[in-house]
Amino acid sequence: MDGPVNPAGSIVETEDDPTPIVLILATTLRRAEQTPKLAAMMQKAKGNVTLRSTVDPQAATVRFQRGRVRVERGVAADTHVTIATDINRMADDDAPKPRVSGALAHLRLALTISKVLEPPLGTWQQEAARFWAGAADHSGMPAGVRVVCLDDGTELILGAEATEFEIHGTAHRLTAVFTGGSVFGEDVLNGKLYAVGSLQHLAEITGRSLAFMMGR
Amino acid sequence: MADLDAARVPAWLDEHDIRWVKTESSSLDGLVVGKHIGRAKFAKTLPLGNAITELVLGYDLGGTPYLAWWDDWRADALGDIHQRPDLTTLVVAPDRPRTANVICDFVTANDEPLPSCSRGVLRTVLEQLAARGFAAKAAFEIEAMLFTDSLATARRRHFRGLTPMSTDVAIGYLHHNSRQQLAYIDDVLLRLEALGIPVEGWHDEAAPAQFEINVDPADPLTACDHVVRAKQVMREVAMEQGHVVTFMAKPSAEYGNGLHVHHSLTRDGEPVFYAPDGRMSETTSHWIGGLMAHAAAATSFLCPMINSYRRMVGFAAVPTVASWGEDNKSAALRVLSIEPKAARVENRVAGGDANPYLVLAATLASGIAGLDAEAPLPAPLAVSGWGLPPQGYPHLPNSITRAADTLEADTGLAAVLGADFVRYWINTRRWEWLMFHTTGGDPTAETVTEWELDRYFELT
Repeated sequence: MDGPVNPAGSIVETEDDPTPIVLILATTLRRAEQTPKLAAMMQKAKGNVTLRSTVDPQAATVRFQRGRVRVERGVAADTHVTIATDINRMADDDAPKPRVSGALAHLRLALTISKVLEPPLGTWQQEAARFWAGAADHSGMPAGVRVVCLDDGTELILGAEATEFEIHGTAHRLTAVFTGGSVFGEDVLNGKLYAVGSLQHLAEITGRSLAFMMGR
Repeated sequence: MADLDAARVPAWLDEHDIRWVKTESSSLDGLVVGKHIGRAKFAKTLPLGNAITELVLGYDLGGTPYLAWWDDWRADALGDIHQRPDLTTLVVAPDRPRTANVICDFVTANDEPLPSCSRGVLRTVLEQLAARGFAAKAAFEIEAMLFTDSLATARRRHFRGLTPMSTDVAIGYLHHNSRQQLAYIDDVLLRLEALGIPVEGWHDEAAPAQFEINVDPADPLTACDHVVRAKQVMREVAMEQGHVVTFMAKPSAEYGNGLHVHHSLTRDGEPVFYAPDGRMSETTSHWIGGLMAHAAAATSFLCPMINSYRRMVGFAAVPTVASWGEDNKSAALRVLSIEPKAARVENRVAGGDANPYLVLAATLASGIAGLDAEAPLPAPLAVSGWGLPPQGYPHLPNSITRAADTLEADTGLAAVLGADFVRYWINTRRWEWLMFHTTGGDPTAETVTEWELDRYFELT
């Protein structure tokens, strides 16, 4: 598992010693930053938004101010918009709808956060390739991975043709895991994804999945 | 305790009418794990020892397998490792008939040391110390808190609102409190004596329910073995008497539990730290310079849990700044150099939740790294180590993640401890952080959380 990184050149920064939810939110916002229209929205936004878990104490506040974005732990007293959601099920097909408060009084801020927390995604193949580009060189990873989409049987080979590991799942679940929306090992344990290969590779891919989720 | 080779074990088992052998190894988190092996099987498996699942080194205190990294020593689809008995620790169990206890190292099926065996890590550090011509001795101070409630009651209450076996007032050394704890302590001391663990003394300590047992100095491996066994005895006697004891670093807002460790060095039989005229030798200077240089990184081992860092607050008898001073108990390192037979360094950082093998391994490895690098000695702390400003004083890391990050950056300490082990350890600490945040821990709580009590009170 890797330590935190605040990449240079991003308008998104985290608190010192960030919590997982802070890192996950910051990673999502940095992904949104890659889309010029969303980056412009973030730079223009002003105000504070809190994302709060409905199932545990996890919470983080996003502060938009003077063209920059800062993510901190906890529910800020001066927050304008609060989103309460089951953060463990955000990537599920049947995820419960988040409860939003403060949106009517801060419409523009609410619109901005709704857009930037759901940056545009590529196809599962594009996202898988992007994940692989950042993970393949990590020690212990399989040389090649065969990914199979259970919706239509399409396949993608990541890395070496002689694959050592297979991942099977629906396009939705594959996209979620390769974009950091879910954790690989957890998805396998919960039957949302399937894996064929060694525990070593399962663990290493899970580690990369966590790292990807938290922007490391 | 026995001093045997494998060939003489059957005779020893016969002589003591032993039917079962309890194997005792320490996980990285300091859990004592092992099996009860029948006499014949135990003798047959020597010298390699019995097989045990590698998962004993592969899950966290909540029972969740570490599933986010792997190490070369692990089998592709889970396998066995072995508990290699250290036959010098074979002893008749004082609490069960026809039973012996033995402390074991974790090794591979090929009898190779495992980088993630904490006792093995200390062994490799001691070998490096010996290669430089030094021998060490160590002595631990074991702090614990004893409550009148049973373990079942404590669990039901999630370890909150328990009744201390003492007054509620935070005053140490009260015989009023010691008298209340006497029935418990007497049983503990008798059992320790039977196990061959010499105790210097014990006393009531500062927090309600708290007491301290001081174990005699011994060679480092034995000193750690004594702590592991003593803590287990303290747990078992508490259970048998219908009470509960904890070594958790900070179970309440009161003073926390520490695991102070004293160490001394000799070379050619002469005490290295002895400085009768107050002039420290060059060796001592580099040694303590190393302890100072690596103090922040070593904190990861000395304060291994989320809860460990709640203990690290000023004016609570816990150092918060990397510092040393002659007989200064507010410094991280209390140096005592005046008496030749008692010249030593006391490291006061470790919490009661730390694995003693790793506490001592990290401490001695820091000194070795200091010798090798001829580390300069910073100025001693001649003032109180508490209440110091953030600038100008090297504060110790104040969270499990900061400590892990600092350790990751400290290649000098990893070079002595072993890079594979340090990498594995850092992964486990970041995992602990992840579990706290994602399984119900509240990072904004200013007091000890239920998550911490449920995870650490009983098991650390």
